Amino acid sequence: MTKRLGGVYAAYLVFAIVFFGPVLFMLWSSLRNNVDITGSLFNIGSPLTLENFTNLFERFAFGRYIANSFIVAGGSTILGLVLGAPAAYVIVRRKLAALGFVTLLARMAPGVLFVLPLFVLSIRIGGPDSVALNYALLIVAHLIITLPLCIWLLVPFFEEIPISIEESTLIDGANAWQRFLRIALPLALPGLSVALTLSFIFSWNYFLFALALANERTLPLTVIAFNFIGQGSNDFGGLMAASTLISAPALLLTIFAQRWLVRGITGGAVK
Amino acid sequence: MSDLMTKSPAASGSANAGPGAGAPPPRRRRVDPTARGVWPFALPAVLVTAVLVLVPIAYTIWLSVSDRQSDGTNSGFLGFANYAEMFDNPQFWNSLKITLFLFVVCLLVETLLGLALGYVMSLDVPGRRIFQGMMLVPAITASVAVGLVWLLIMDPSLGAANQILAKVGIDPVVWLGDPDIAPWSIALVDIWQWTPFMALIISAGIRSLPEEPFEAAALDGASGWRTAWNIGLPLLRPVLTVAMLLRTVDLVRFFDTIYIMTQGGPVNSTNTLNVYGYNAGFVDHEPSYAAALQVALLVLVIMIAGGFTWFRQRASR
Repeated sequence: MTKRLGGVYAAYLVFAIVFFGPVLFMLWSSLRNNVDITGSLFNIGSPLTLENFTNLFERFAFGRYIANSFIVAGGSTILGLVLGAPAAYVIVRRKLAALGFVTLLARMAPGVLFVLPLFVLSIRIGGPDSVALNYALLIVAHLIITLPLCIWLLVPFFEEIPISIEESTLIDGANAWQRFLRIALPLALPGLSVALTLSFIFSWNYFLFALALANERTLPLTVIAFNFIGQGSNDFGGLMAASTLISAPALLLTIFAQRWLVRGITGGAVK
Repeated sequence: MSDLMTKSPAASGSANAGPGAGAPPPRRRRVDPTARGVWPFALPAVLVTAVLVLVPIAYTIWLSVSDRQSDGTNSGFLGFANYAEMFDNPQFWNSLKITLFLFVVCLLVETLLGLALGYVMSLDVPGRRIFQGMMLVPAITASVAVGLVWLLIMDPSLGAANQILAKVGIDPVVWLGDPDIAPWSIALVDIWQWTPFMALIISAGIRSLPEEPFEAAALDGASGWRTAWNIGLPLLRPVLTVAMLLRTVDLVRFFDTIYIMTQGGPVNSTNTLNVYGYNAGFVDHEPSYAAALQVALLVLVIMIAGGFTWFRQRASR
């Protein structure tokens, strides 16, 4: 038995180095100065500093970029849940497999397909010049990601609610909306947490729409970090600090909400 | 922890009936009283999906058969000239080749490596949750961050990859600057980012497998490998195909990491259909030609996903 345990932990170590090593490398590099980053990888004792992070906030409006990312990811996630939860409920109760399939189609369409029409629309309604319009456009664009995802994630949770619980409320004369709001939704609360977590992360991470649609004042973290490379920046410490900030929600949720993340990722595939 | 295993069997029976043995007998047309009056709830989502998904697709198809200029004027219906130009352009065929190359290489490696990692992750040993947490990180880290880190790792002169190679006496590799190597480097990054995702699904699948067939095989004295091949893999097939389908769709429309790391270069060696389509629209300012490329990409995604689904249904029959 101990021999088998040893084998498992040896495999753990190899996989951890390969798949988690680069993440550690990013965190570590964000705390080193540029001379050390571009120096030897094996100089493990090099001094650590928070300078890369303070530089980002002093030289660029990084607080604003973080706020922008929160507005777009938060807005599109809330809208996705508000629209997606009732839809998922209907798909389950009326067994509308076809509607479920359409939402799957929406997941399959390549993002590039939506950018051009959205860009044309944005120009036509004055999106590039108005901050409020630009936020609205970005939130709506990200709904293309969050809405199908929320529906896909919530369906299995509504399926788990036994019909008998809802049938018992029919006697009380509750209408459909009351049943949904008072019975089904509270019972699907774990599903809402799963959908909220995963949908926020995917929206936060998404890069393409903001790349084409955002203006100077609505740029999210992902695009500003990409623009750094375009400027030929070899401030690797700054780049790694920016990467660390972009990854922060994902890293924090892995620590505090791992259960929900795992259920979300495996939910649609493993029943 | 055990929720994956205790998930109600009723759930799998009601939706698409899989290969599930012992499915409940189909109830004939009994109208579920709780289903009455619920359909209007779906209306907002249906409307929003229609406007957000179908309208842009329709508009892109219109663009692809008309002649929009970069200044926004459109001289109207043009027929299939953009498609003719696309089929005549060697860059289109090159992009198609690169898209399929990345799709085949990444899916193959991610599935095989995912099976190995998934098996390790499914074992009940102390510390399993911590390990699982670490493996979760690559898939949920933003592609921009992934791209930036790998740019630094693959830097030709001071990158970590070449430093490690130097330690074991291998000459430095020009990871992203050589057209022959760059597609493999991009594949490597995708494999790094998404193998753990495959493994996570596979591991959940393994943990939800019934125990009886394995106990029976052990009683018969079958070896571990034989049991895995003859019993484990067939039982795992439904889960495996869903995981592969999810990856397939994402691989065909692979964009973020490539755009961040190479923008399609060097010498178009990583210029997938998706990157090519984006650049045609937003760098070369040829919206109608870009639209034709994007329609071609959509058709490709649907063809591959459709083929996959057909294969899956045939296999489960």
